[in-house]
This record gives sequence, structure tokens and C-alpha cells, in this order.
Amino acid sequence: MKFKKKRLWGDTPTMKTAYDAVIIGGGLHGLATAYFLSRHHGMQNIAVIEKRYIGFGGAGRNTAIVRANQRTQENLPLYQEALDLWPVLTRELNFNLMFYNCGNLNLAHSEAAIKAMRMNVSAAQFSGVDIRLVDRKECKELIPALDISDKPRYPICGGMFHPAGGILRHDAVVWGLAKGAAKNGVHIFQGTEATGIDVENGRVAAVDTSRGKIRTPRVLNSAGGYSADISYRLLGIKLPISVLTIQAMVTQPLKPLLHHVISSGAYHVYANQTLKGEIATGAHMDPWPNYTTQTTGHYIKHQAEALTEFLPCLKGVKFMRHWAGLADMTPDMAPIMDGNAPVDGYYMDCGWGYFGFKSCAVTGKYMAEFMATGECPDILKPFTLKRFEEHRLMGETAALVQYSADN
Amino acid sequence: MNRIDPLETFRIQPSQKISIQYGRKSYEGVAGDTIAGLLYGNGIRVFSRSLKYHRPRGLYSLDGECSNTMMRVDGMPNVRTENTPARNGMKVTAQNVAGKTADTDPMAFMDKLGFAMPAGFYYRTLHKPAKMWPVAIKKIRKAAGLGVMDPDFRIEGYFDEIYPTADVCVVGGGPAGMTAALAAAAPGLRVILMENRPWLGGVFDYRPAAYEGDLPLYQRAAHLARKIEETPNIRVFTHTAVVGNYNDNLVTAFQRGNETDPFDERYIEIRARSIVVATGCIERPLLFENNDRPGVMQVGCAHRLARTWGLLPGRQAVFSIGDDLGLEAAADLSDLGLEIACVADTRMDGQDETLIDALSRRNIPVYRGWIAYKAHGAKQVKKVTIGPLAGVQRQDIECDLLVASAGLTPLTGLLSTRQVELLFDRHTGFFLPAGLPDGIHTAGRMLGFQDSVKIEISGQLAGMEAAADCGFNAPGEIDSIKVRINAFPGPALGSKIVSAPVKGKKTFICFDEDTTLKNIDQAMADGFDVPELIKRYTSAGTGPGQGGIPGHNLPLYVAQTQQSPDQAPRSTTVRAPLIPTLMATYAGTQHDMCKRTALHDSQVASGGKMERVGVWTRARRFAEDTKALAEIKNVRHNVGMLDASTLGKFRIHGPDALKALQRVYVSDMDKIVDGRVKYSAMCNEDGCIIDDGVVLKQGENDYYFTTSTGRAGQTVEWIRYHTRYDHWDFNIVNLTDACGVINLAGPNARKVLEKVTTADVSNEAFPFVGWRDLTLADCIPARTMRLGFVGELSYEFHVPASYTQTLWNILEAAGKELGIQNFGLEAQNGLRLEKGHLIIGSESEQRTTLHDVGLGFLWDRKPDANTVGAVALTQTEHQKDRLKLVGIKMADASAAAPKDGSAIVDTKFQGYICTARFSEALNEPIGMALVKDALAEPGTELNIYEDSCNGQLLKAIVAKMPFYDSDGSRMKM
Repeated sequence: MKFKKKRLWGDTPTMKTAYDAVIIGGGLHGLATAYFLSRHHGMQNIAVIEKRYIGFGGAGRNTAIVRANQRTQENLPLYQEALDLWPVLTRELNFNLMFYNCGNLNLAHSEAAIKAMRMNVSAAQFSGVDIRLVDRKECKELIPALDISDKPRYPICGGMFHPAGGILRHDAVVWGLAKGAAKNGVHIFQGTEATGIDVENGRVAAVDTSRGKIRTPRVLNSAGGYSADISYRLLGIKLPISVLTIQAMVTQPLKPLLHHVISSGAYHVYANQTLKGEIATGAHMDPWPNYTTQTTGHYIKHQAEALTEFLPCLKGVKFMRHWAGLADMTPDMAPIMDGNAPVDGYYMDCGWGYFGFKSCAVTGKYMAEFMATGECPDILKPFTLKRFEEHRLMGETAALVQYSADN
Repeated sequence: MNRIDPLETFRIQPSQKISIQYGRKSYEGVAGDTIAGLLYGNGIRVFSRSLKYHRPRGLYSLDGECSNTMMRVDGMPNVRTENTPARNGMKVTAQNVAGKTADTDPMAFMDKLGFAMPAGFYYRTLHKPAKMWPVAIKKIRKAAGLGVMDPDFRIEGYFDEIYPTADVCVVGGGPAGMTAALAAAAPGLRVILMENRPWLGGVFDYRPAAYEGDLPLYQRAAHLARKIEETPNIRVFTHTAVVGNYNDNLVTAFQRGNETDPFDERYIEIRARSIVVATGCIERPLLFENNDRPGVMQVGCAHRLARTWGLLPGRQAVFSIGDDLGLEAAADLSDLGLEIACVADTRMDGQDETLIDALSRRNIPVYRGWIAYKAHGAKQVKKVTIGPLAGVQRQDIECDLLVASAGLTPLTGLLSTRQVELLFDRHTGFFLPAGLPDGIHTAGRMLGFQDSVKIEISGQLAGMEAAADCGFNAPGEIDSIKVRINAFPGPALGSKIVSAPVKGKKTFICFDEDTTLKNIDQAMADGFDVPELIKRYTSAGTGPGQGGIPGHNLPLYVAQTQQSPDQAPRSTTVRAPLIPTLMATYAGTQHDMCKRTALHDSQVASGGKMERVGVWTRARRFAEDTKALAEIKNVRHNVGMLDASTLGKFRIHGPDALKALQRVYVSDMDKIVDGRVKYSAMCNEDGCIIDDGVVLKQGENDYYFTTSTGRAGQTVEWIRYHTRYDHWDFNIVNLTDACGVINLAGPNARKVLEKVTTADVSNEAFPFVGWRDLTLADCIPARTMRLGFVGELSYEFHVPASYTQTLWNILEAAGKELGIQNFGLEAQNGLRLEKGHLIIGSESEQRTTLHDVGLGFLWDRKPDANTVGAVALTQTEHQKDRLKLVGIKMADASAAAPKDGSAIVDTKFQGYICTARFSEALNEPIGMALVKDALAEPGTELNIYEDSCNGQLLKAIVAKMPFYDSDGSRMKM
């Protein structure tokens, strides 16, 4: 063997015939849950199965922004704790996740947008989140490149600044969690597809994979964009999830220009400058459900038009790469975290849409507790699948959204 | 500056002098020079400093494969000076260096620290102790990034966009692309040919080698280019980078303008019926110690510098190559005056023997199976160590130029962006398409073809196949061309050598990211085995060169180094834009696509403060007072006019029109009374209110209805979607843009109307919620409805858009003595708030049901209509713990109105203020809020948490609505 050094997540393990838990999806949520199960709940006999390679899906396709400026009291504490976890995880994993706590500025371009932001800010401040409304001059102080004149078609009226947010290196989170989980004995199988789930007497009994059957009493569906498909195909459980393509792109690297994450609802764009100097920017989703990860020509054009309206200096910057990922959208833009219903031993952590990155660590922590104890932690209770049956949408988004084909 | 004597292949005008400024000095060149070429001709060898190690970097390639020659030009960072034409007076500075030129750099010591920064360095370090990390972030940010962008920078120039149509789009203006375009154009199809360089010709353009007989390749290229020019149905875009290829053959590109063009750059988008990709090859870099030293350059770079621009790239050269093009260039450059010590060829055999003979005639030794091991010298190559790939023999040769290239790399990016699978071909060593989607064809050198005639014929074939896609099928001809192609020898065996057998510490597989072979080894040792992940872990290929340097070498090297050598190399993903594209170019002319009502100009002339509301531009108010109190007062006491043209307006007719309305509206539309409008709402499947408006019956099976402004765009789709399985017979016509709407409101409204119509508009003849088709001022047909959104006597006139302004003027004149004035959205907002009328989206959110806003009474529980949301309305009718819409007043009537969006709290969040304003009529603040049902009873005290209130809560009381004119007598008078 040419290389003697220890590999980050060990050598490829030999698959056993039974595990205490099988996690479908080697993305951030699956790896985080495996990590917390193995580290905090003494469950080390765990298999993570990933069809492609770890971090292939949304984990490697997001823009790595973290924040806790959510809208509802059910979501706020979860995302707040998520923010607090990054330094802790960096230490525990002994892997630099490159958390850059630069803060997020959301721009408001109308009185109505200020009102919507005030609702967010009041609710978040009441929950103890560090966030405030800022006027247009302060926006300019935070991001000197902003055009705060009346020239843009949606002039900047003010904004919402959330100093606690920031960015991470998304790949580092994947690799760090994989390293941590593997160190605690978790088996990670890349290139392994889940092909079936056996249910006996209303309980999960085994998972069929492309490498053979694994007997297990617990299975977690954390397959991101493919979770609704897996749920329906393997168990016949239909989830209220529409899968849409979401696109993002980066520019050539520049010396520091944007000192905070910046986003604008009216223009449908958000942008941040990575530690490497590239400006990573993304926007809203394709307006129809699809499972492709194809980019579109009009999207990158729109992005340039929108971004340069309020950041005109970016006209002199070049786009370099453009990619797409999948967003598994629920009707209320809040996830489904549930377990033991309708099948005992079947746990779901899906429907994250485009919130999956910032939530991965804290979700892993609580889903691990849920799976280890069988009891749903209080903080996860509002995210039950049943809320859709009862028409109790969560209100994470104020505006009406339609992800299905009728829009 | 020394130029060689003019050659037929020159693309410069030696007599036309230009000068540019680099650093503090001015440098002279000639028209046609690139920026980097001009500087090179003046002896500049170091163009930039590398990202991590601040190593000097020089002119290496000519098509923008790496960041070596990226410089700041006229304030714009990251300009690829190697293919950007120099223009007189340009100001150029070096990047990633403390000074203005790259010659010296105080950060150069970083190069000595490379050992301390293995692959994954950042992931493994700097986070301990945690306190140090924020300090490290600052350093990293400062060190990272290449160009500097001034926040106040404003780009100059005109950025156009065009959308030409074409049957066949040919990408690549080399020999294969040109013959493809000619073949596709032959049956009369519209063909577009796009070429990245400023001229056609490709790999033929600069080479004097023979095409057929004595005809040199460059003359053949010129001949083809002339034929293209003479073909009227071929449109040529030169200096045009094709950057994207999307579904259904959508090709995007941008063209750089020259000094006489009316644009600086223009975005080009083409939807072609068929595409020919003939993008050819770039060179695959050869790796050895210090392979990035200034003075090391690719074969094509050295050859084209001399042939195209007349710049001899050095005095004494060593060649280390792996392809016949290297042998050919050596012979030609030798004839042009370059002294060549020797040519090391990585191949043991397989060379074109005529080229070997040519070199031996010039006394240039060729060492087969040899390779460069190391380049010596700091800022410039001074010496090269060469030796056999297998064996210990080494030889040092002094030189100032090392022409190095491992072989060729096909440019398959336009296939990758269409998610075409690329498989490794063991013969050529290329990643070649496993299959092509319909409507895409490939041709030329990118397939591994080397014979000039074969390259051309392959283009001809692709052009004919593309024509066949467009319906001009010539099967016999296509077959005979295929036979001709197969008569040629197959592609030559390609060299797969990536690197000299060196330790790799200073062997750079990626220049942009300063990634060495050693870094790749380290990544593999860390457990990364997929090239795509190695790319992410080491950053190799993620820089501005978009993988132009490591794209081919990385997978080859990984496959060659990994333990299972029989595993075929797997390519990394290439993504659009294939060439970095300015945002200014994508943004183009930045069309503003907003809608204006027919009254827009007069609203502006009346002092309207216009703002964007969804897709529309509307007047928020007509005075400085942000609360619009004067406008409110005038509506309450006299009469006001509002431009309400943005309302959604629809006609639905046909035998099943009523059924369709029953499906989407919660009310029973069978109960519509003739001459009266019916107010109702639409819900989604969760029973949440999505729209409200009025419906009227204008004839047998013929209805007219309105929707809110924001909902107008989706309404047709909504109705069609929810009746999609019923096969009902009805039509919907969206009249939103075809009709204007004027709302005349206030106690004097009838007096105004009476002045412009002879019809009886008394309260008895035309009561509240009635509608009439009136003719106003003897000439304008106006559908007139008596509605009361603002709570006063009011008429809503729906008129053809083209009549709207005329009617407005007539009403304005008629109402002059009655105090008629404009009112805008802000006044409407205050007026309707006093009436407790909701605006969807303002007093409702996504999860708010019809019951939650108190409009449950609209729901008629139609048994057989299968109304959208009916199931949910049943299930949620008595549901607890929901947010309900209530009216509020302040506990202290003299307090200010709370700010919109403030939270309502006790120990938990219990709701929020939707809209609150000072009421002119009540002389106190009023508002509407969504609160938990437990707090919704009138009289309940609410605590309001405004943002940044530091815990100072405001007190409000839940109040009954409407606040104003509770029996509605003012609307009904």
C-alpha cells in the first residue's frame, strides 16, 4: 500500500448483516444523526448508506449560509441552537468547519417588506435571537457596494441585520461529520443504494440495499431531495413534498468586498463572499417540480440582472460556475421530522427545502435523541407529518406558495 | 521591440503603434497585439503572483486556460490579458501582489512554506485555540482572492443582447466548424458559426504545414473563411465565447466588440434545431518540478506568438512534448530564428517520421522517451534538466524558454453541460462522448482526428447530419462521407504521461489554486478517491481557469496512482459558463419589465409617488405626508378617484362556466342575482384564503369576475388546474390588461356620476352591490359597479383600457366643483382599515383560512361542487389554537399606532399586528391583528412587542370591527 496515513473516515468497512440503525442518505443530516447517535447515545452499530458519494446532493450544492432569522416560534429555537453548535462541533470533531460569523443582511425594498421583516425581527428578538431592523444608510455602512439611491427598480428602504449568522465551508461539514462518525465506529457505505424496507407486524425489520439485506429495527430517511421518492417507493408513504431544482453560482475570486451575507426577497437573490474570495450567489427555485439538476441559461442571466441592480460594481465581476441541486419543499416551508408513525422504527427527516444546510447539526442532535430513546424531543414535536392532515401549516413563510403544477 | 519580419500569417498591423501603461511605465506595441503579448514583446516575463505561494507566473497559454496572465485593466479585475486585445491608453496592473507590477513581491517567502500547507491544511488547523480562528479568518480573507473590486466601481460601455434564430448552430470556427457550416448551409438552412478567437481558422490558422500538395494550412483556412463569408445564409460571430448549452439546444454566448462595434460585449442566445460542436483541443500541460516558471509555455502559445504576432518567444529553447504538433512547431520556430537545443518527446515511437527528419535536417536532436524533470531559475527559466522517463540519466541545458506540453485535451464542455456521459478512451487518452442527445453532433480534432483532410470531412459530415435534423436528409451522401472518413487512419495513439517521475512538491497540477501533485497524493491518502472530491478537497480546477489546466490531468493522475490501475479514469464535472462571463454581459440591457396602467402618465403628472407593486407600478400617495391623511379626508367628505386598473379582470363563459366557478369560489354562484355583484373568495386545498373579488352574470352562461391584483397572473391556471379532469366546456379570457378601472368614492360620488350620464343612478334605480352597463358622456361604455371597499358611496368603472384616460379626465372635470381629488394606495389602505376590510396577504398569511379571517359566512357548503378547500373548511371550522383576525385599539387612545408587524406576546408569541394606522374618522389609532383564538374576544387586552422595544410592551384591546360606519349606511346611501 502506497499511503500509510490514516484515512479521514477509515477504510471501506465490510457490511454486516444487522445494524442497530440504518441511515439512508450520506448527506449532512444523515451523517450528523449518525455522529450524534454514536457519540452521545452510545449507538455505534450504525450503517449510513449513500447511493453516490457522501455530500453528493444538497450538502455540496448549497451556498453554506447559516442563520436563525426564522419567522415562527417553533423554528426560531431550533435554528438558534444550530448556530450555537458550530463552534462546539468544530472542537468535538477536531475539524475546522470554517464557521465565519459575518452576519446576514436582508434587504427590504418596500414598506410591505419592512412590515414583514418587523414581524420576523419582533418574533426573533422575543425569542432571544440577535437581530435588528436597520435603515438604508446602515445597510450601506454594512455593505459599501450597495446602491441605496432611487435608481434601482426596487430601491432599498432598509433591512434586517442578523449578526449571529454567517457561512461555513459546506464540504468541511460533510467531511468532519463523516470523520467523527467513522471514528466512533459508524460504517459509511458509499455507492450503496437502498432498494427496499421490510416491515414486519408494523415494525421496520430490514433494509434492502444494492449490497444485500441489512436487518435493523430503525431506519432514518434523510435522503434530501430524494426522500419523498424513497418514502413512497419503499414504504408507500406519500409525503406532501414537491421537489424543485434550485440553482446557484459563483464568481471568480476577489479580495474582500462583501463583509456580510446579503439577500433580497424582491430581487430573489442572496450572495456571500466565501473565505476563498468567490461570491457565491443563489436565488429562488425553478417554478415547476422536477428531479433534474440541470441549470438553465435564463437563470444565470436573471441572477446577473438582479444582483447588479443593487450591487452595481459586480457588473465588472465574472461568473465562473453554475450548478443546481434539489429542494424538497413542503407546503409550509418547514421540514417533516417524525418517527414511529405510521410504521414503528421508521424515522423521517425530510422536506427541508433549502433550509437543510443550516439545520443539519441541530437536527442530527435531536433526531439522534428521538431514534435512541423512541421519544420525540419537545423541540421536534411541531414538525410532525400530521400537521398537514390537520391543515395546520407552520407559517415559516408568510406569502402563499404553490410548488405543484397549478402555478 | 523585436518583431520578426512580416509573415502571411500575421494578425497585426505593424505600422500602427499603440501604447499601454503597466505599473508606472508605458509600453509600446502594435494594433492587433493582445495585452499580454504586447508586454511579452517588451520583455515582461512575470505577469502575476500565484494565489497561495506568490510564485511568479508567466505567459503559459493563449486561450485563457489559467489565471497566470489575469491582470487588472482599467479598474476591472481578473482580465485575461492573454486573449484580450490591447487598446491604446489601457492601464494595466498586476494582481495579488503588493506593488503595481508582479516582478517583485514581498510575499514571495510564502513559496518556502508550501510544506506546511498540505492538502486539507485549513480543515485540520487554525481552529485551535478557538480564539485564534477569528484572527485567522481575517488573514485568510486578505490573502485569498485574486483581483480587487472597488465598491464604487461602475463599468463603462454598452452591453447589448441579441436573440438570433438559426437552424444550425456551429460552435468552433476551425476547419471542422467551417466545413460543417458550409455543409449545413448548402440546402439553404440558416446557419450560425461562432468562434472564440477574433478570426476563423482554428488550428489551421497559423501553421505553414502542408494541407495538400504545397498549399499551407493557413492558406486553406483563409480559403474556407472566404467561402463562409460568401455564403449569405451563414452568420459568423467571431471573438465569441460560447458559454452554455442547455436543454433543447439553447446556446448562450457572448461576443466582445472591437473598436468599431456599437457594443462592448453582447449576450447572444440561440435556440437551434441542431448543434455542431467542433471546439477542437487545448493542450494538456506537462508536469515536472517548477513547471509553472515564467518561460515555460505550451507549444501552441510559443508557435502562435511567432506566427500570429511576430514575437519570437525566446532565444534559446528546449522542447519537452508528447504530440506531433510539438515537433512541427520546433521545426517552424527554428526556421523563424529560435535556437532549439533539443526536443524531448515523451513518446518512444509513433511520431510522424517526416517531422523527425525535418528536425534532424535542422540539427535539432530529438530524444524519444525523454521528458523535462525540472525547470531552474527564479523569475525566469534559466536551465532545464531533462532525462529519460525510465532511467537515471539527466542532462542540464541552459535556455530561456521551455516549450512543454503533454498532449492534447478535447474541449467537451458543451457536451458536459448537457449531461453527456464522457468515457475514457484508452487509445487517444481522451474523455469522449458515450452517446449524443438528438440534435447535437461533434466533429474535428476533439474526436482525436489529426489528419487535416479528415478533420474537414468530419465537419462536413456533422454539418450534413445537422441539416438532416432540420429535414434535409441526404442518406446517400452521408453514407459516402462516412466511407471516406473510415478510409483515413484512425486517431493516433495519445500519450497519457502526466508528469515526470518527480516528488511533486513544486509540480503544479493546477496553477490557479497552487495545487501540487503532492497535494493530490495527500488527498488520496486522506481517503478521497473520486476525482470530483479530490477537486473539492484540494481546490484543483476550481479557479478562474475553470479546469483548463488540471481538467484532464487530474483524473489521469488519480487513475494512474490509485491502487486499482485498471479502473478507468473518471472525469470531473465541467459547468457553465465555460468561459467566465461578466455579469454586465449577462445583465445586458437590464430590461425593466414592469406593467403600467393606462393612467400612469396622468398619475405621475398629478404628483403620484409611484412604486412597484408586484408586476405593476402604482401611486402610493399624492403628497409628502406618508399617511396620506388629506386624501383620506377628501374621500370621507367629498369625493376621490383611484386608479384601480391593476385589479384582475376575467370573463368566463360557456356551458360549464358556472360549474368552474362553483369549483373555485366558496360561495354558491347559482345564487347570483341579475344586476347584482356577488362578493366571494377562493381557497386552496387547506382552506386558506387565496383571493377575493366580485362575480357578476353578464349573460347566459357568461360571467365577469375580478381578482386581487397579485392573484391576476395565476387565476386562469388555477381554474384550469382544478377542472383538469372534468372536460368541461368553458373559456376564460384574461381582461386584466385590456380594461382600466377607476374607483370613484365619497359622499359626492353620485353627484359626479349624474353629471356624466343620463341614466337613472339614484339609490333606488342603482342600489349598493348593483351593477349597470352605462354609457358615460354619451360615448364611453362603462361597466359600473357599486362597491364599498373604502366604506363610502362608490362606483367602480370598468372601461376599455384605451378609454380610461378620457373617462378619468371627464370625471375629473365633472367633479372639480365637488372637490374631486386623487387618492392612492396608502389612503385606500387607511380607509378600508376603518371598515375592517382585509387585503389578502396583508391581513392573512399562507396558513390563514377563510374562517380565520371571519369570512366563513361566504362558504355555502355546496354539496356537489367539489369546491377547492371545502374538505379543509369543514375540518377546520371549529379548530382551536389558530390565529384569528381581530380589530384592535390602543388601551391609551392618545398613543401612537403600533408599527406594522409588531409581535403580540404573553409568555409566548401569540400573534402580530397586520396593519395599524391613526384613524382620521375615529381620531385614535386602530388596527387589525392576527392573534391566537384564546385572545380574540373583544375586550381582551393584548401586549404588543415592537422590535427593539427592550421589553417595553404596548397595551392594546381587541375591538369590534368595522370601526367606522358599522351599519354600512354610508356605502348604501
